[in-house]
Amino acid sequence: MTRAVLIAAALLGAASVAGAAPTATPGVTSNSILVGGTIPLTGEAASAAGVARGADAYFKYVNARGGVFGRKITYKYLDDGYEPQRTFLAARQLVQQDNVFAIFNSLGTSNNVAIRGFLNQAGVPQLFVASGASTFGRDYKKYPWTIGFIPTYSAEGKVYARYLLKTKPKAKIAVLYQDDQYGKELVAGLQVGLGAKKSLIVKKVGYDPTASDVRSEVASLKASNAKVFMIFAFGKFSVQAFITANQLGWHPQIVVNDVAAATSLMQLSPTKATEGAISIVFGKDPDSPKWKNDKGMKLFQTVMKRYAAGQNPNGYYAAGMASAYTFVDTLRKAGKNLTRKGVLNAATHLNEKNNPFVLPGIRIHTTPSYRFPISQVRLERWHKDHWVIFGPLLAAKP
Amino acid sequence: MSRVGLALRAAAFVAAAVVVALAPRFISSYHALEWSQVAIYFVALIGLNVLTGYSGQVSLGHGAFMAIGGYTSAILIAHHHVHDVWTIPLAGLVAGGVGLAFGLPALRLTGLYLALATFAVAVAFPPLVRKFDHFTGGNQGLILNLHTNDWLYYLSWSIAGGALLVGWLVLATPIGRSFRALRDSEVAAVSFGVSPALYKTLAFGISSFFAGVAGSLFAISSAYVNPETFPITLSLFLVVGLAVGGLGSLPGGVVGAILIQFLPTYAQHVSKQAPQVIEGAILVGVMLLLPGGAAGLLRIAANRSVVHSSQQS
Repeated sequence: MTRAVLIAAALLGAASVAGAAPTATPGVTSNSILVGGTIPLTGEAASAAGVARGADAYFKYVNARGGVFGRKITYKYLDDGYEPQRTFLAARQLVQQDNVFAIFNSLGTSNNVAIRGFLNQAGVPQLFVASGASTFGRDYKKYPWTIGFIPTYSAEGKVYARYLLKTKPKAKIAVLYQDDQYGKELVAGLQVGLGAKKSLIVKKVGYDPTASDVRSEVASLKASNAKVFMIFAFGKFSVQAFITANQLGWHPQIVVNDVAAATSLMQLSPTKATEGAISIVFGKDPDSPKWKNDKGMKLFQTVMKRYAAGQNPNGYYAAGMASAYTFVDTLRKAGKNLTRKGVLNAATHLNEKNNPFVLPGIRIHTTPSYRFPISQVRLERWHKDHWVIFGPLLAAKP
Repeated sequence: MSRVGLALRAAAFVAAAVVVALAPRFISSYHALEWSQVAIYFVALIGLNVLTGYSGQVSLGHGAFMAIGGYTSAILIAHHHVHDVWTIPLAGLVAGGVGLAFGLPALRLTGLYLALATFAVAVAFPPLVRKFDHFTGGNQGLILNLHTNDWLYYLSWSIAGGALLVGWLVLATPIGRSFRALRDSEVAAVSFGVSPALYKTLAFGISSFFAGVAGSLFAISSAYVNPETFPITLSLFLVVGLAVGGLGSLPGGVVGAILIQFLPTYAQHVSKQAPQVIEGAILVGVMLLLPGGAAGLLRIAANRSVVHSSQQS
């Protein structure tokens, strides 16, 4: 009797092992795909953790509906505290220890730069990098396994330039920017966009990303008497910029970059300062009443309720889901016989028109030599505690 | 040190060296990388122990001295194509030189004020790197050569073994005795002819040399440096590692290094939502149970089992 049970158990065990027998591709079995990523779960940038958690929730939703070709996606995301050194260790762990199929949706410019060489040497796809630095889409000849996702910062700067030239062609411009790769790329985009009218920028002041506040910088910009104030900042610094401008009684036309323009951040600033501010948008904002009855945002709320219960369903989660949706699409396109080469090929031949988490009309489009999946945006204006979208879809090419 | 003690210590060192040399056969490639990081933190902790544990000066800025070493290596490798390994001693010398120079003004400060001054170094370093971005690479950082995990493991542990021997040797000489004398009573030390100025700066220099070597290894193993490679929290973690390993015991640093490397990962396993709370709770627990650190625990055990007088180093 016991022996029979043992044999049966052994057979069952063997069957389940055979069922999950690994194919030649790391991280892929007949019923699972292991995908890795890094994200700040701790530290100053921890509020962005929703980008990974939102993607994870969407994968769970896809899994509950059968996965991709019968394979369930496991998304293993590790905390890097936003420190490149830890991103590097985490990526090595994911690739060498956990044998992930690909790295997906890792957040941060330096963090992704820190792992790009290693991933490309190992031939591991680094897909849909969560950073707008153009290097991730531009340098594909050197780093063929890497591709970005959101519009680049330089493209964003150009969009603002075009808008200003059209609506306020003579207004003097003052720029506050974070003095690093991120802020400098936005400024460079703005300058390229202004072209011959570059001299409209009467003053630009950078702040150190580890500074405690930007009060003196804003004060010196006010002294320039500019009529347009560009805030190319990050997190708390944008809030400080709004508050300081208001305290100084300076009420120019404010333009604030996308990363610094989260609804939750904007609501922290005095309405007198934020009213009328301009930014760009490409993803649907769960905090906006515009999408209350939208199918995509209803799906977002359902997924959040079911797979990320108790978490605040904000724009970070929606951004993560947008990325995850495209990733699932890419996996489908790569076909039943999933390989790393196949998924890279699919990621560089995207033509997705129905991503429910990005603005209607945006086509997520790539070719092997054009690796900027989202390169369309719209403008939005802050009005009565919410962003209101206006104007048509605009090209945002780097 | 008694002859028996020396023989025991030598035997323990050889046994540890054998274990370390054989370990990669039994652990995965990724674990080899993790343990090479332990060796790197160990080297930094040996240096910090010379300063804090033996000469009684507190530094909250050793992450910055590591950064100086790391950037020295990175610049030599990326801009001048020097072979990675040759940059390690140079990185140590540069960091040691800066440490000596810093030791001079720091002489006027003691205790808490010195700690604050060193912390200022840690805070000031990242903006300096951004300022001189034409050769530090600024925020974009510098990309270095990739190495295999096993190579990094053997490199780091060989250097850690060497660092431990050098540390012991220094402390066994009259220099080490002067450090301890200054730590225990500056007045008494001076009356015996020990120059506080000379030995305090020397301690800073030696300690920073170790930090520079560790920083160089850190950069080489990460294959990338940018200002956030050496965050301010690194300096704080080193002090915590020192306390956990035990002040005044060089080998105890291994325990501190293990803690620095594995605590954040472990805390993440326990709670994805609030790993830092777990980290803090574990640290408080360790310090309550082991106020003398790992070395203190060993000492208690040794005192109980060995009947004759204990040797406090």
